[in-house]
Amino acid sequence: MILIVILRLVNKLKTIFFVIDKPIHGNVCSQEFLDIALMAAAFDLHVIVLFEGDGVNALLKNQQPETLGLKQVSPVLSALSIYDINEVLVEKESMELWRLSPEQFVIPVTSVPRVELSQQLNSADVVFSF
Amino acid sequence: MKISVQINASPYQHQAADTAWGFIQAAIAAGHEVYRVFFYHDGVYNAARDSRPPSDERDIVKRWSTLRVEHNVDLVVCVSSAQRRGLLETSVAKKVAGYEHALADGFRIAGLGLLMEAVIDSDRHITFGE
Repeated sequence: MILIVILRLVNKLKTIFFVIDKPIHGNVCSQEFLDIALMAAAFDLHVIVLFEGDGVNALLKNQQPETLGLKQVSPVLSALSIYDINEVLVEKESMELWRLSPEQFVIPVTSVPRVELSQQLNSADVVFSF
Repeated sequence: MKISVQINASPYQHQAADTAWGFIQAAIAAGHEVYRVFFYHDGVYNAARDSRPPSDERDIVKRWSTLRVEHNVDLVVCVSSAQRRGLLETSVAKKVAGYEHALADGFRIAGLGLLMEAVIDSDRHITFGE
């Protein structure tokens, strides 16, 4: 852990926070921004992805975007861990609003209450929100 | 301060391109370095060579080209966003019959790697348009 911290300091690695708060199939935004998240990870940056608001629905299993002529997003979500993006957060209140629970999601997530999120956001160097 | 800017919205329909333009002018006037503008999502339409607004309206595309000439700001258009929306640069356009270079002078096309580079190298990265 200390080694990672030192490496980060030496390389001035930035922490990049991605906030996804829109339905993932409504437009191309969330998908194109997930591309940025993967790219950031490929650049060895410290990436955290947060789903909140309507964005939490993106995580649901058994979606059938093919019926709308759209691509599946789940493979991209599964690819996050391959790219060493293991900090996937979901805002607790948004999940409750949609009556969802982490077992319904395609990838493991950490549920975080809204009050704690602002602290995490403050610690990030760059925040992408869309 | 070294600043990079990202624009996600199309010109004329949204204010993002105008706000970004004002911000960049103010930043340069205040002695900051605006290092790169990255055009993403519908923001790629800011680079449309064939844009012809009525003569009594601001010419947003030409305004960006001028920024390149006067302040040497790197104007980068995301390749996948551009291709999705029919804005092809010469190397790609040649392969598709009937298409010509679609980007205005001063713009270049590139991938998300250049966005990441901007995020890493800048003191601040600011996004306009959702």
